[in-house]
Amino acid sequence: MNLGYLGGPMPGRPDPGRRRVLGMAIIVSVALLTIVCQLWYLQVLEGGRFQEASDKNRIRVRPIAAPRGILFDRNGLPLVDNRPAFTLSLIPRELDRDPVQRDVTLGRLASLLQIPFADLQDAVAKVSPDSILPVRVRRGLSMDDVAKVEEWKLELPGVIVEVEPQRAYPNSRFAAHLLGYVREASDEQLKGGRYRRGDMVGQTGLERLLDEFLRGKDGGERIEVDAMGRQIRLVQSTEPHPGAQVITTIDRRVQEVAEKAMEGKAGAIVVMDPRNGDVLAMVSTPSFQIDRFTGTIDRNAWLRVMQDPNHPLLNRTIQSMYPPGSIFKMVVTAAGLQEGSLTPSDRVTCTGEFHLGNWTFRDWKKEGHGSVDLMKGIRDSCDVFFYNAGLKVGAPAMAKWAHAFGLGTPTGLDFGSEKPGLIPQPRMSKKGKPMSWHAGETVNMSIGQGQVLVTPMQVARMMAAIANGGVLWKPRLVQRIERPEKGVVWGDAGSVTGHVDLSPMVFAFLRQSLWAVVNDGGTGVAARIPGLDIAGKTGTAQTVANSKSEKGQDHAWFAAFAPVKDPEVVVIVLVERGGHGGSAAAPIARQIFNTIFLEKVAFAAFGG
Amino acid sequence: MVGIDRRLLQNVDWPLLGATVCLVALSATTLATLSVGRAGTGVALRQIAWFGLGLIALLVVASIDYRRLVRIAPGLYLMGLIVLLTLFVFGRTVSGARRWLLVGPLSVQPSELFKLCFVLMVVWLLSTRWAQPVGKAVLVVAAPLALVPAVLIVKQPDLGTALLLFPVLIALLIAAGMRLRILGGLVLMGLAAAPLAWIALKDYQRDRILVFLDPLRDPLGRAYNVIQAKIAIGSGQLLGKGVAGATQSRLAFLPERHTDFIFAVFAETWGFVGCLVLLTCYALLLLRGFDIAASTREPVGRLVALGVTALVSTQVLVNVGMVTGLIPVVGIPLPFMSYGGSSMVVSMMALGLLLSVRMRQFQ
Repeated sequence: MNLGYLGGPMPGRPDPGRRRVLGMAIIVSVALLTIVCQLWYLQVLEGGRFQEASDKNRIRVRPIAAPRGILFDRNGLPLVDNRPAFTLSLIPRELDRDPVQRDVTLGRLASLLQIPFADLQDAVAKVSPDSILPVRVRRGLSMDDVAKVEEWKLELPGVIVEVEPQRAYPNSRFAAHLLGYVREASDEQLKGGRYRRGDMVGQTGLERLLDEFLRGKDGGERIEVDAMGRQIRLVQSTEPHPGAQVITTIDRRVQEVAEKAMEGKAGAIVVMDPRNGDVLAMVSTPSFQIDRFTGTIDRNAWLRVMQDPNHPLLNRTIQSMYPPGSIFKMVVTAAGLQEGSLTPSDRVTCTGEFHLGNWTFRDWKKEGHGSVDLMKGIRDSCDVFFYNAGLKVGAPAMAKWAHAFGLGTPTGLDFGSEKPGLIPQPRMSKKGKPMSWHAGETVNMSIGQGQVLVTPMQVARMMAAIANGGVLWKPRLVQRIERPEKGVVWGDAGSVTGHVDLSPMVFAFLRQSLWAVVNDGGTGVAARIPGLDIAGKTGTAQTVANSKSEKGQDHAWFAAFAPVKDPEVVVIVLVERGGHGGSAAAPIARQIFNTIFLEKVAFAAFGG
Repeated sequence: MVGIDRRLLQNVDWPLLGATVCLVALSATTLATLSVGRAGTGVALRQIAWFGLGLIALLVVASIDYRRLVRIAPGLYLMGLIVLLTLFVFGRTVSGARRWLLVGPLSVQPSELFKLCFVLMVVWLLSTRWAQPVGKAVLVVAAPLALVPAVLIVKQPDLGTALLLFPVLIALLIAAGMRLRILGGLVLMGLAAAPLAWIALKDYQRDRILVFLDPLRDPLGRAYNVIQAKIAIGSGQLLGKGVAGATQSRLAFLPERHTDFIFAVFAETWGFVGCLVLLTCYALLLLRGFDIAASTREPVGRLVALGVTALVSTQVLVNVGMVTGLIPVVGIPLPFMSYGGSSMVVSMMALGLLLSVRMRQFQ
């Protein structure tokens, strides 16, 4: 491009372009002056009128809480639902500016609904007096309360009743630990900046684990109201987006039966599908009233639950560790057979006592079991047989195979403070001998006592591995999460966390002897159901601590699966201080099997 | 050349830069007052960071001889058009509008940058040998230069930015010596075509015009923004309500208060007196721009300076005009005041062009 052609005005010659530029500058200046005039008009001449309009600006922002996502069981039955509930709220900007007048209003409200006056003052003090966002004061108002507030509406400026979706449970204690409770975000949670004051947040269990999905996106409305607080017009509205739906692996029917069977007892039940690790039921008792935690729980009720010596908030399936007792004999057997230190034909004569140096270890059966082989040792849970077996197998091998079965490591349920359990491990010297380890500890370990500790969920995983030929599944609680418009947003196809490399012969032997425990006059006969081949192992774990339980100090275990061929279900029952596993835990497992295999059993009973 | 020699530095327009710094300072304080007691004081800091980035862009642009830029204008213009087209494919949708392009972590508004390409392109056209003297034939070529991108930008939809192109085009034609009678005819034609345009407008855009003509038509619906902005400005009165008292702004009655309606926030907080200070800054800036255009005898430099000044002037006048209720609402940010990286950086580059002309006018 050659700009020479354009040329330019010669110096000293008139420059018409310059005049045009100046003309445009004048137009812009005039426009600026017009704006100044308009501002003079708006701000100075009409300023007072607009000031008034600004003071009277009564726009309310009305948040519309998104309903939390619903949790379903594996068959599509809801585990928890939502229902509309009334919430009492204060709008700081519409409360009286004068502190005295304001306290009169709050006082009136306090006496009307029997809310502590201090609570109301606290709620107001926490937010700016200019805020037009409602501050929730009390959730779950009764119809009576709502009527009272409406009746006194004119005397209660700044007080409103909102309708919000609230959690509704099939019954008060249903699956309390599994689902977890939902409460207003605590001060600490608010600090994270992810929640607004008054947001409902899952605090434990699945509600906490999946909070991000379950929480929807709140909508809101901007409305103009008159001096009486009545809506004049909707200015703006954003639809709330409900939370995602969660399809769990739980079978509500099984969960209910399991909870019912544990009524009045402390302990835990885990029901698992050994084919994929699905958790069909997860029960921990004593439970708590989950619906009382939602909304505004009064401080005393909260303290009562927190300080309850029975620890109702504890999820005993994963957060409590227990000695496994005779259940551990399965590990000893597997270790011994696999390593060749035990054979099925080993025999021991049980006199009810076992001597090691100066120590005497007793069998649970005072008079002894007589001549016992490995199969009978498991069937009758003969302690003396296993004292011998344990010494033959050795602590390191027992520990190795306990670890192989997943004991001593968390199951990975991402469920908050899962306990890892404990498998004592003798430190080995360079010569390969256990150090600072007494042979008595080996003896104790061989019947699942001493330092050995497990959680019911770990036992379920181990039992599932015995049932399915060695696959360690990560327990699965959630199948998938779906959003109405987007379909599946999260899915879990199940994951295998390990494999127990035992020879098929060992598994076959274990299944055979566990079948005998229930069906051939063993300790688990109380779980027997004609027509259904259940395999199981009882455990009676001695505890150190004292308690006033009438049934004694022992925790009762029963770990079982069925049917023995192609196992479909693993059931673990633990009754704290319930006495013998065979008498306290096995019958509970029987009830659960009965429910699950109801049709099959009925078919067999009627001669199918 | 990119290097700056001493003589160039002596001709830096300090009043122009001073006015700009004042405006950015006012912008940052206003944004900061909006977030008092809220999370996200970061907005003000980010605005300052944008200013910093803009300063670098300004230096780069000012150090390049504007004639070089005009020479490559057709290439820039074509690239701009292509980017505007790709927006329909890769654009990021924010509240229904595809105006943004994701570049790494930033979302950039290409239509902002396109405005400068457009100015340079028109200057290139008007300074070709073919275009002399500037007459009707030039118009036939220049009109599509504005219309094609305008249609693309309207489709985003961003009516405000699209409409900006026309006053800038007209201002450049005037300055290049087109006969005013031809331009008068053009304006008349435009008025005749207005009914057609009315049909092409989207519902909400028609609503805005109707609401402007009669704000009480639907006081809480479409007119909500206009009425709330007027209340905010008016209630500021002579001296303003101060930071704490500016309820209209702080209680979120005002929509888009960080961006297009920031003038209302400022007016409520600082009142008529504050507005005078703000408008004085703008007047200083714009008149300096016209002064550069008028005092530059080199014709390309004059056109560049004028085009850029016309661009910024139109934005300021349209934005403040709409917020104060003088003209219908079209979404245009207030240069240097409204929060936004693209707007800030591009406005600074526009200043860079002005400085580039100023520094070289006595060469």
